[in-house]
Amino acid sequence: MTNQTKSQFIAVASITSELSAVMVVAKEISLAAANAKAIAFRAGDKAKGFQPITDFINELAKETIELVTNINIYALVLYRLTVNEFQKTVAYNKFELAAKLAGDAVYAKSMQEPVEHAKLSMQDCQRQFKRDVSQLLGQLEAVMHHARAARVIAANSRIEASQAGEYLQSLQAVAESVDKAAHTIHDNVQRCRIALSIYRNS
Amino acid sequence: MKMTKIYEGSHQWIMFGRDEGKPSNIIDTNQYVVRTANRCLLLDPGGAELFAPMMAAVLHHAPVDQITDLFASHQDPDVISSLGLWDQALTNAKLHAPAFWEGFLRHYSCESIEYVGIPDNGGTIKLESVELQLIPAHYLHSSANFHVYDPQAKILMTGDVGAAIEGPDTPVFVENFSAHVEKMRHWHQRIMPSNQAKRVWIERVRNLDIDILAPQHGRMFKGDDVKRFLDWFDALQVGTAV
Ligand SMILES: [Fe+2]
Ligand SMILES: [Fe+2]
Repeated sequence: MTNQTKSQFIAVASITSELSAVMVVAKEISLAAANAKAIAFRAGDKAKGFQPITDFINELAKETIELVTNINIYALVLYRLTVNEFQKTVAYNKFELAAKLAGDAVYAKSMQEPVEHAKLSMQDCQRQFKRDVSQLLGQLEAVMHHARAARVIAANSRIEASQAGEYLQSLQAVAESVDKAAHTIHDNVQRCRIALSIYRNS
Repeated sequence: MKMTKIYEGSHQWIMFGRDEGKPSNIIDTNQYVVRTANRCLLLDPGGAELFAPMMAAVLHHAPVDQITDLFASHQDPDVISSLGLWDQALTNAKLHAPAFWEGFLRHYSCESIEYVGIPDNGGTIKLESVELQLIPAHYLHSSANFHVYDPQAKILMTGDVGAAIEGPDTPVFVENFSAHVEKMRHWHQRIMPSNQAKRVWIERVRNLDIDILAPQHGRMFKGDDVKRFLDWFDALQVGTAV
């Protein structure tokens, strides 16, 4: 296995592991939103400005989970493609070697077609991989976007929380956990993107 | 790869082996090819490492598109781990292998090649006008295992039965049977699990008219050495590791 193939395997595998962490965090956000909603309800008028924010956080968490679920399916496709590309590359190299070893054998020429065919399917795999990576990067960008939005909401939540009297502390804790979660998502997704960006369609 | 024609009649048998380019840490294997006018059958085509030299050697006898049939006596990697590569090279081929191992052998990838499962009681492979018999050899050593008998060429291909592990320059035929025995003893005692299976197989094979007994490793037996081998094997206690 060449280093290029090895790192491609690693890059694809790392997406799945980074994303499973994102999933955990997104679920935490969703929980924080439910928690905030309950507090805001109890706080009544004092947390009026907070209520629409909790709905928004909840929605954002749900969307992130959905996105990540889709990306995970995509990552599996990418993994299969990597396996496929590896097999095709091995075959192409072995076919070429066979053609070379055959030298002036009576039927040496008959190896040309399999060699050509193997080369084309290997290149096909490489192209498809690049195409799929570009699409996956687009989806990861969407998750990043969500994470950035969550951080803005967290900042707003802090302001609203400051007007919530005795509920200040618990609402601030909500804002804090949303912010932290958004930060983690951002970092993890960023790592996925860096790992994949060298394979992007250029 | 060394090539030795072992039968020439209405069709041919060619033995391939003693590959000089083989890494020293993988077991040396014999591959056999049955060639008719327009078709070609590879018996125990070998491991993935051996694919390129084997393919190159076959091209001295047949074009790629006439390699229509593969046979795997059992599921071992030295027998058939090249399957995934043949699968990508051949567009119109069948693999004849124990039905029992289908789910296992497909791990090597078998998509364009058609898997023709051999039932436990055996069967035949028809190659134009040649009909080869698939003789059950279960537990010798694999639990689902077949040998190939050609009644016209009087050749019995026996997989791991009759094998010996020797150096790369070993002659292709046994020349001095009594000297050869010591090279076979440990292998057969260790790899063959069942005295009962051995007895049943020997009874079955003694009824066949055999000129050449062709194992997957080491040297072939011809003429009187075939009977000598069967007698020796008959008397040997196997399954000795327990
Ligand atoms: Fe074996
Ligand atoms: Fe073997």
